[in-house]
Amino acid sequence: MIKHKKAQWPWHGLTALVLVGLAVSLYYATSVISYEWRWSRVPQYFAYQAEEAQRAAGYGKVEAIVQQGSMAKVILRDEDGGEQVLDVEQSSLQLSKGDDVAEGDLIGVTRHWTAGPLAWGLWTTVWISLASGVLGLLVGLVAGLCRLSNNPTLRDLSTVYVELVRGTPLLVQIFIFYFFIGTVLNLSREFAGVAALALFTGAYVAEIVRAGVQSIARGQSEAARSLGLSASQSMRHVVLPQAFKRVLPPLAGQFISLVKDTSLVSVIAITELTKSGREAITTSFSTFEIWFCVAGLYLLINLPLSHFASRLERRLAQSD
Amino acid sequence: MIEVRDLVKVFDTRGQVVRAVDHVSTNVAKGEVLVVLGPSGSGKSTFLRCLNGLESFDEGSVAIDGLQLNDPKTDINAYRREVGMVFQHFNLFPHMTVLENLCLAQKVVRKRSKQEREAKARALLEKVGIGQKANEYPSRLSGGQQQRVAIARALSMDPKVMLFDEPTSALDPEMVGEVLDVMKTLALEGMTMVCVTHEMGFAREVADRVLFFDHGKLLEDSPPESFFTSPKDLRAQAFLRQVL
Repeated sequence: MIKHKKAQWPWHGLTALVLVGLAVSLYYATSVISYEWRWSRVPQYFAYQAEEAQRAAGYGKVEAIVQQGSMAKVILRDEDGGEQVLDVEQSSLQLSKGDDVAEGDLIGVTRHWTAGPLAWGLWTTVWISLASGVLGLLVGLVAGLCRLSNNPTLRDLSTVYVELVRGTPLLVQIFIFYFFIGTVLNLSREFAGVAALALFTGAYVAEIVRAGVQSIARGQSEAARSLGLSASQSMRHVVLPQAFKRVLPPLAGQFISLVKDTSLVSVIAITELTKSGREAITTSFSTFEIWFCVAGLYLLINLPLSHFASRLERRLAQSD
Repeated sequence: MIEVRDLVKVFDTRGQVVRAVDHVSTNVAKGEVLVVLGPSGSGKSTFLRCLNGLESFDEGSVAIDGLQLNDPKTDINAYRREVGMVFQHFNLFPHMTVLENLCLAQKVVRKRSKQEREAKARALLEKVGIGQKANEYPSRLSGGQQQRVAIARALSMDPKVMLFDEPTSALDPEMVGEVLDVMKTLALEGMTMVCVTHEMGFAREVADRVLFFDHGKLLEDSPPESFFTSPKDLRAQAFLRQVL
């Protein structure tokens, strides 16, 4: 049978239509429950202008006020002739020239941009993911190689580790780490959270590594050994590079999972993205908007991650 | 150069005991070319793999150039450095270019400088006739070219002995010749070689001695002229009738 090449774009157009339809029905659904969308409340949770009060350091007089655009430079002179210069917002200026000031009097405020709770939450999620991802990869690599070891103790221990971790919920592991191990060893909540996530990820990475190494034909390590390479040299230079290429897709999936799983450490009061979202809702009451934003921020981490993984995959495929 | 004494290798799969190599003894002098023949399952590949320790054995001893393989004091990696091996399925490292394939062991095991190992690699690639493919990945080469790279890779370690495990069995017929030519050149240069092969022409032309295996036993050890014209053993006669 001859296969004719059909144009793809009408189908992509249909996809777009379906997505738009979904969005419209979502909008309609919220209007049915008379939800009032207030997107304007959201940006302040990313960044806002914080005000900082500028106060007089001691008794004195306002000697001069110099206007500089929207700012005003206030020069105070105390009784000993000492000078204090304060830059404040013109609009917040409380005094005029010649006024007496006492220690602690408010002269005015300065404003500067500050990251809001969602931005901080995003940052916390990123560094926790990164730290536990790197640690998890190391733990998983070691545990995976131990599972393939000739030493029965190493093999048993890594099997116990993998089965224990995979057989219990991450949430329970986080609680155990924080409340039990954390109390015994006096760990900070961040340390406990990262450790729990790293060990959890490590167990899955171990299985991925084991499967990857086992998928490499035995002839490869035999060829390496016959050239005089030791077992570890053959693993490092010949087997692992090939295995890595093969396990890249499941590994990327595991890290994407990890980023999402960091939301669970909110239960030990680490203010990562999900928890800061919940906190933002308690003050804004914009439930839907905030949750959509939080979901969008997770996507913001994960989409580049999977893009990076598929690019790496393509680059490694050049030897095929 | 190679001394094999009473070598026994037993495979025990679920209680079924098979003697893959059954009390085999032989000597290979320096520069000698041995061709190992036998029907499939006769233990000839296992015998070859025992020679460089890829297969452990149960009894007997193997020594190459005075180094005892089964002596616990022998560093197996140092031993294998002196023994090149060529496999049926080439086993080139697919994630490395041809040049990197030839340089890896020189770098990691022999600790040669970049200049030295690349010069060596290029010279060997010229010798096996694929100098222009140095920067290709193995997947871009034909089977015959891959096998020639594999031979060059084994030679890059300057081995004292070369073992060939059915080097032409996985090749398309038109590529067998180019690999055998490389092996003939090596034999003429005085390399000590043990080849498991089904290439009777090669055995006749190049071999100094032919070993015939069946059911793990070394049944015949004679020069090719007498082996091919008047084999003593009955099973060798039957084998030759089938392949010739």
